[in-house]
Amino acid sequence: MTALISSADFVCTLALFALGAIGSLIAMKSDRISGAIGTTAALLGSALALMIGSGVLISHTPIAVQFNSTLPLLSFSFGIDALSAFFVTIIALIATIASLYAFGYIKHFTPAYRLGRLGFFYNLFIASMLLVVTAQNVVAFLIAWEVMSLTSYFLVIYEYREQTNIKAGTRYFIMMHVSFAFIVLAMLLLYRATGVLDFANMAPALLTLPAQAGASPLMLGTILLSAFVGFGIKAGIIPLHIWLPDAHPAAPSHVSALMSGVMIKTGIYMMVRIFFIIMPTPPLWFGLTVLAIAIISSILGVLYALSEHDIKRLLAYHSIENIGIILLGIGSALIFLSLGLPTLAQVALIAGLFHTLNHAIFKALLFLSAGSVVSQTHTRDMEHYGGLIKYMPVTAVSFLVGAMAISALPPLNGFVSEWLTFQSLFAGIIHGNSMTLSIAFTLAIGGLALTSGLAAACFVKAFGVIFLARPRSPEVTHAHEMPLSSQLSMLILAALTLIVAIKSSFIAHTLASVTTTFGAFSNTVPSFSSQPFTIVLNTGSIISMAMIALVLILAVLLALWIVSLLGGRRRVEVGATWDCGTPLTPRMEITAFGFAHSIITVMRGIMRPTRQSSVEYQDANIRYFPAEHSVHFFTHDFATTHLYRPLDRALARASQIIGRIQNGSVNAYVLYMFLTLLALFVVISLGII
Amino acid sequence: MTELPIILAGIAFMTIVLIQIARKSMLVVELFVVQSAAVIALLAWSSRDHVTLTLVATILAIAAVKLFVAPFFLKRLIATHASRFSSNTYLSGPNTLIVLALIIALSSSYLFKPLAVIAPGAQTLLFLSIASLFCALFIVINRQGALSQMIGILSMENSIVMMALAAGLEQSPALQLGITFDLLLWVCVAYIFLSLLYRQFGSLDVTQLRRLKD
Repeated sequence: MTALISSADFVCTLALFALGAIGSLIAMKSDRISGAIGTTAALLGSALALMIGSGVLISHTPIAVQFNSTLPLLSFSFGIDALSAFFVTIIALIATIASLYAFGYIKHFTPAYRLGRLGFFYNLFIASMLLVVTAQNVVAFLIAWEVMSLTSYFLVIYEYREQTNIKAGTRYFIMMHVSFAFIVLAMLLLYRATGVLDFANMAPALLTLPAQAGASPLMLGTILLSAFVGFGIKAGIIPLHIWLPDAHPAAPSHVSALMSGVMIKTGIYMMVRIFFIIMPTPPLWFGLTVLAIAIISSILGVLYALSEHDIKRLLAYHSIENIGIILLGIGSALIFLSLGLPTLAQVALIAGLFHTLNHAIFKALLFLSAGSVVSQTHTRDMEHYGGLIKYMPVTAVSFLVGAMAISALPPLNGFVSEWLTFQSLFAGIIHGNSMTLSIAFTLAIGGLALTSGLAAACFVKAFGVIFLARPRSPEVTHAHEMPLSSQLSMLILAALTLIVAIKSSFIAHTLASVTTTFGAFSNTVPSFSSQPFTIVLNTGSIISMAMIALVLILAVLLALWIVSLLGGRRRVEVGATWDCGTPLTPRMEITAFGFAHSIITVMRGIMRPTRQSSVEYQDANIRYFPAEHSVHFFTHDFATTHLYRPLDRALARASQIIGRIQNGSVNAYVLYMFLTLLALFVVISLGII
Repeated sequence: MTELPIILAGIAFMTIVLIQIARKSMLVVELFVVQSAAVIALLAWSSRDHVTLTLVATILAIAAVKLFVAPFFLKRLIATHASRFSSNTYLSGPNTLIVLALIIALSSSYLFKPLAVIAPGAQTLLFLSIASLFCALFIVINRQGALSQMIGILSMENSIVMMALAAGLEQSPALQLGITFDLLLWVCVAYIFLSLLYRQFGSLDVTQLRRLKD
């Protein structure tokens, strides 16, 4: 394997994406050719990247690619170390399957939208994600990050005739550049603290340089917070998530799968690189901050998802929830590291990374399934679905598997990573040496349990309303399965949810070997003992997903056997349902709103729902016999109402005041420069900076 | 002899102060010529120990641009359009002098102490250069005439040269030639631009240039 993978392969991967991007543009006039070029190149490039990433993971042999220039700032180095390899594998895996799905899916955009444009940005988007997780110095990383943000922006506004997409894109664009500002700040401060631009040299520099040389606790704290905010915006943590529920649904579904499944994970990747490799001695307060944000994100994410009846927005909110679960692992790991418990920290980090992989798989599956439904029904409103299982059985089964996996039901993959996260949190209660830590971990356990329960409820609602009962709109009755390539990609992902769960021991050990390359865990006692098909933690906890799967299968077989034994060979008679004399119509079915209403009412303290009722009467003068009674139920994102709107108003007021200094006089502008210069001298003289 | 650089810098500085209060357009141009001559003399003095042909050529080129080309264009502008330097200032005469005094005091204050490390052996020259720089900047801020502002920018460039000499940051002759070429281009462009502005607005007072016309 080592001999097979080299830096040339990585360059070939990038060349394939470049070919796909440029080829799509060149063949722009023919949608058929440009679509085929863009999708084929993306599929081949992603498949090659998957081989490279998994190859490095298995062989433990990093590869490096250097693009030299006479100017030091324009010399870019890329490399695939253990952590990069893990993320390259995830990105490439989902991109390969999403590209396969795209073969059948993208046709429905023609002739309204050009496929050449889609192919161009799609290839660049995947390539930029791969470059982000392989960049080995700050400048290369920042350029790749910006390209990733811009290409994904153009994919969000791909269907540019929809005003909602343009609005979503604008919000995404703004938030990504706020994020970029924080990331640049973190990187500049890291450079100031270490004096180097290469990620690999930053950790040794931080360890060897004395605090007076620049790496003071205040500066380190500022770096950690800036990085957390910057990458947290990309990851979609609450309250920095407002772009996510709009942007993910706006993009084409295979792009949504990539954005939700892997793009937001690039934020997680950089958090892991900075918090565990570059700065492996985090303060306790920072770990607690991450844990608190994780609890809030997971609970509010799933609550907002429950109140949604737009299928893609619902999935987008679940991404926020799952980022919260990933951060529960990362936050716990940071706390354990600050307490000097690296073995527990390693388990917690593995839980977070494992959930990163799992979420990528089941979220991609759910988005692709949702994309199939939307492309057939031409609406994202779940209230207009119903009974789709009869028309799209493969999609229904795929969605069901994804729903079970995201609800952490055994024997699927979501269960394993949430189990590992629970183990870490329980260990936190046992080993936390203060009341604050015990409370924090108890809250985290409660939050995760609540999140899991609510996620299951949400997907019972989603699956029931979309696929069961009767069609609630004529479009449903015309729906049919997507082309074979799209069905195949969904089935592959569905199979992966089970395969990953059964091979969880292997994956956990692979992740253990990845984390062992981090400075913080290099001398750590192994947190796992080696058992095929069984994860045995040093804390004494054991789980075997293969055994659970076997038991479940046996239980189902046993139940069937008992039913057949007790029921014998009864004759089944099919007849009309007793309906009290009233014809059954889709209006009698429970709606998405109806299902979620009771839970939202219980959580009204947090969600602050508002309700508008309207009645139309048969005769407006008599107002006795109502013709139509409608109820509109809204939940408002608290971050929008309590943070961004006040901020927006304050900014508008401040802009009006600041606008007065723009008086059109050159003299005044020179005066401002003069005063700024003086102010800088004052600041320097007083030793503030 | 060691006092010569300070005397030359003092002359340049005084011309900048006088430009602030001068009312006649030709006088301002003449003051700029004196100022440039002082700066060029300072440049020549600082290069006295390592005279080369290239260096002499560079100094001559700078002299040509600052003593002849720039004044030529400025005088031509005045003569062609019969315009006068707008003598109007945003601040009144006494207030202008008070601000100048404050700037000079500020330039020598502890605020600029951190800069002393870049020229430990020539602090007086350095602070004179800083004072000149800020006074030149103040010309741009305070004068309403576009031509005055042009002189202010040219004076700032002279002050920066003085500062670089004080700090021992002399650059290679090739780079200095490049800078001089830039300056030449700038003067030409500014001349054309101001001519067009005068033709369009009939004035070079920036307070009159508030609204663009077709």
